[in-house]
Amino acid sequence: MTGLKAALTLDEFEIPSVIVEKSGELGGKVRGYGKTFPDFRSGRALVSGLVKRVDSTGMIRVLRNCTVSGIRTEGDHYRVRLSDGTSLDAHAVILAFGFEPFDATRQEEYGYGVCPNVIAAPELEALLDPLGPTKGRLLRPSDGKPVRKAAIIFCVGSRSKRTDSPYCSRICCSYSTKQAIEIKESDPDAQVVCFYMDIRTYGRGFEEMHQYAREIGVKYIRGRVSECCALPDGDILVRAENTLLGKPVQGVFDLVSLSVGMTPSPDTSSLAEMLGIELGTDGFFISADGGLSPHDTGREGIFLAGAVTGLKPIRDCILEGTSAGGRAAAYLRRRRA
Amino acid sequence: MSSSKFPADFDLQRQAFPGDDTPERSAPEDTGLQNQSGANAPWLDRPTCPEEYRRLRLCLDSLSDREILEGYRILRDEKVPRAEGWYYPNVRILHGTAFEREKDRREQKIWSEAHDESEVARWYREAREKPCAWWVENHIIARHALTSCMSCGVCTSLCPAAEFFDYNPRTIMEIVQEKDEQTLVELLRSDTIWYCYQCASCKVKCPRQNSPFGMLSSLRQLSQLKGYHVHSIRGRQQVAARHLWGGNLWNRACSLYYRDSHPETHRDFGPRHETLYRSIEIAFRQVGACPDMSGSLSARKIHPETLQEVRRLWHAGGALFLWQMIDEAAARGAVEDGLTIDEYHDKAKTEG
Amino acid sequence: MRDNAEQMDRRGRGNPWGRHIKSIPEGGYYLTLSCIMGSFFPGSESMIPRVYDLLGVRWGINSDAGSGWTCCTGIAYHGDVMPIEGTLLTVARLWSIAQASGLPVITPVCVTSFGVHLECRELYEKEPGLKEKINRLLMDACGRTFEIPKHIIHVSDVFYRYRDALRDRHFHYTLTEKGTGRPLRVVDHVGCHYSKIFPQQHAIGGAEDCRVLADPVRAWGGEEVDYPERRGCCGMGFRQCMITPNRGATIARTLKKIRSMAPCRPDLIVTNCPGCTTFLDKGQWAVHEVAGESHFIPVLNYVELAGLLLGWDPYETVGIQFHTVPVEPLLEKIGIPFDRSRSRLEGDRYNVGPPFAGPPTAG
Ligand SMILES: Cc1cc2nc3c(=O)[nH]c(=O)nc-3n(C[C@H](O)[C@H](O)[C@H](O)COP(=O)(O)OP(=O)(O)OC[C@H]3O[C@@H](n4cnc5c(N)ncnc54)[C@H](O)[C@@H]3O)c2cc1C
Ligand code: SF4
Ligand code: SF4
Ligand code: SF4
Repeated sequence: MTGLKAALTLDEFEIPSVIVEKSGELGGKVRGYGKTFPDFRSGRALVSGLVKRVDSTGMIRVLRNCTVSGIRTEGDHYRVRLSDGTSLDAHAVILAFGFEPFDATRQEEYGYGVCPNVIAAPELEALLDPLGPTKGRLLRPSDGKPVRKAAIIFCVGSRSKRTDSPYCSRICCSYSTKQAIEIKESDPDAQVVCFYMDIRTYGRGFEEMHQYAREIGVKYIRGRVSECCALPDGDILVRAENTLLGKPVQGVFDLVSLSVGMTPSPDTSSLAEMLGIELGTDGFFISADGGLSPHDTGREGIFLAGAVTGLKPIRDCILEGTSAGGRAAAYLRRRRA
Repeated sequence: MSSSKFPADFDLQRQAFPGDDTPERSAPEDTGLQNQSGANAPWLDRPTCPEEYRRLRLCLDSLSDREILEGYRILRDEKVPRAEGWYYPNVRILHGTAFEREKDRREQKIWSEAHDESEVARWYREAREKPCAWWVENHIIARHALTSCMSCGVCTSLCPAAEFFDYNPRTIMEIVQEKDEQTLVELLRSDTIWYCYQCASCKVKCPRQNSPFGMLSSLRQLSQLKGYHVHSIRGRQQVAARHLWGGNLWNRACSLYYRDSHPETHRDFGPRHETLYRSIEIAFRQVGACPDMSGSLSARKIHPETLQEVRRLWHAGGALFLWQMIDEAAARGAVEDGLTIDEYHDKAKTEG
Repeated sequence: MRDNAEQMDRRGRGNPWGRHIKSIPEGGYYLTLSCIMGSFFPGSESMIPRVYDLLGVRWGINSDAGSGWTCCTGIAYHGDVMPIEGTLLTVARLWSIAQASGLPVITPVCVTSFGVHLECRELYEKEPGLKEKINRLLMDACGRTFEIPKHIIHVSDVFYRYRDALRDRHFHYTLTEKGTGRPLRVVDHVGCHYSKIFPQQHAIGGAEDCRVLADPVRAWGGEEVDYPERRGCCGMGFRQCMITPNRGATIARTLKKIRSMAPCRPDLIVTNCPGCTTFLDKGQWAVHEVAGESHFIPVLNYVELAGLLLGWDPYETVGIQFHTVPVEPLLEKIGIPFDRSRSRLEGDRYNVGPPFAGPPTAG
């Protein structure tokens, strides 16, 4: 997403660019979202709109199934070695290779990977997708039973020293709320319970969405979940404290979805080393000048954009793609002068 | 244990104590003290009514320190030869009596007076005078138990005490975090802190790596040092705990003694336990243990040298100071309630 | 009911499981005994030296009677009548004896001790200068010094390490039903202070999927059965179980545990902590009286289980007569012979036989 927007921005400055995409398709994670918060527009449509524009300009070359395997300075430019053995020359590089959702098996007490009916948010996203494996019907993995009672657990892999991720991932409150609304709207009789610590629906329209969720009957319980256990029939027992009442509570659900947070993309550290640029203690890239130059790094001509500096909503990624493209264009112009 | 690799000649069941081969006194098996002294030993009574408590107290008060300490020692070390080693028939009779408790209090007082105050005890004595908020920042357990709490409730969610009692470790952590002196004092005077099972279910899950488990343990120490524990029924029980585990340690170097599960206090263990208990020593010997016997396996009589050694450690480690604080608070409580210390103890142990 | 073994898809465990493997040295064990186990299940304690000898490992307990083992004071510490410094010193003395004997690996048999030893070690790591201070106090009090031991290993870890060797070379029986060969259904309860105080480094499999009992059960022919309250506390609770008026709190937990196990139709509950063994076993009588539910599922700790499979005498060596829930029905299932008259409980109307021999009436 971010990368596409940056390339299109460079295109507006009539600067040619190359997109190096690791997977077989452009668009990143957003390509897999049937609906996105806060406005419930199709993520897939958003991406295909951008991809169409990328394809129609002559200035953007796309290399799929390809990664960067080495970079070195050569005269006034960078020589970028690619995984297919070829290489290319560039005067500026924008890093927009995104984030990795938290590996939920690491928060062992939730039984992910052990109980089939405990799933992670990207899987729920796929189950809710009308073009997904279940055609948008929420059927639970173990036996295909329609889900009548679902629990959504917030802050999985976030805000915890135990998993070495003390940070807030910022958008899981919002996407979980969006998912809860989708479940509730497709089946008003279904019960959806969200276990949260704080609701951080901070963006424009996000909190309104949260309020709407409550209005249509999504239940919110303030308390971090301590454990999920599989019952013999495959149902999941969830335990937490309702901290607003000060009492331990438990409930039995057909399906539990874990709202996983962000972790740095697995290639982050190798690229950081390759380029000699700095990472924060959270493992994400940090920008230069203590943040005053948000896209710059310690290396001239290397720029950051999107989720490589921490997870953010699509809207912010678009913004960052746009401004990083602009920043790179300004840099190239100054260099030429 | 012949093939035991280490040490070659050490037999776990038969090892005798030095001097065991020349017994000064010995008594035939199952003539314990009871048979010998019978009605002549009113100080071994287990009283049941205020009148009996008063009589027992008069009797104990009439004994000098020397009589009590020496009498206890002689009875304790009286022994009977057995094929497997020596048997000490009086240990079980002395165990858990008001006489043993009286002996412990006096012996520990004498011990404390004869030794310099240990540096650990000094730290605790000074800490006692400081605000509770100081304690939670400085006590070695408390200061690692809380960095900051975000009130997420994970600890409470799995807490067995929260399920059973009106108890919530999260709110306790909140109170500690607030550090408001008045609220802390209220907490330390309440039953609340005594509900924790010390199971550590909370410690394993806290996303901030706090330990209500450790904090509760530390708060309880503070409550006892300050004497606040006697203001709640559960806290008052500590005088019984001090003599139960403390008495076992001081006299037998183990926190538990195999006769602690007397069917009278453990009715819920059922009739099979009662039957077993009737011949518990035989059952112990049957499986190779050493109940009140010389040796190194379960329930053995502790070697006097070992006992001396660990008593010095507990003096150095501040245990004697803590026990003294519990005793002083209990003595005050007994006076207030118009009870003898023995009745106060038994009441604290059975009330709640 | 769907099969638990199937449901516990082990592929998913692969990842986290790999993070919690600890190295268990092959010998050099200094055994520290337990006041709880010694008070309630003395047979288990006498059997450990025999099992160690059978395995031919190097081990020891104390070098002479005068420098004997004592309990670790863990119960008194968690019962709030021992300051932590007293516990640090008592444990330091045990370490010092072990080190003087050339036995680098501390193996406590008690789970409370295991937790206490590890807590002491952690405090030394967190508190600069503490080791010097405790060493000085230890020296002044009894002329000893100690080093912080590299290995603190629970005895159940040792059994875990040698589970295959025990089965292949020494066992006479397996955890299967005589005649049919059906693997016996086993639920485990791992002591909280084994898996919850330092789950990352010191519990095999961590706190969530602790393998220390489950893997030996599988290796010995049984079927591991999961149940919802698996990680719940047994309710022992130190002051809760030992001060009579508080024991309702303990029984409430036992009830919860047993009720959660019962629908899984277990043949056996296996434990690694003497406290849990006591309350899951004896507590079933209270459950019977208080809730009117006669579950009576036999409870064994890992030493007793190994002892029985080794073919050792159930009464003379293992000491099953110490159990409130009769173990004899289980022996009959496995086909282990026993002579009831040796139990010394004969004549008691609650002895083996009805009402215990029948299937439990789950509540
Ligand atoms: C479950 C879930 C639901 C969400 N729902 C919403 C929503 O409804 N609304 C919203 O605003 N936000 C949502 N988000 C956030 C959204 O996913 C992010 O904002 C967005 O994906 C970030 O875009 P990006 O391009 O920076 O990174 P990514 O989407 O991660 O894209 C990175 C791209 O880089 C490629 N790549 C990775 N490594 C390399 C490499 N070494 N070399 C070359 N290419 C590489 C990847 O294949 C991918 O194409 C959600 C997030 C999650 C986890
Ligand atoms: S955004 Fe919400 S769910 Fe995500 S880490 Fe922050 S508080 Fe937790
Ligand atoms: S688990 Fe930790 S952070 Fe959460 S409420 Fe308890 S002490 Fe506080
Ligand atoms: S240690 Fe205490 S506070 Fe923590 S879970 Fe156990 S009972 Fe609750």
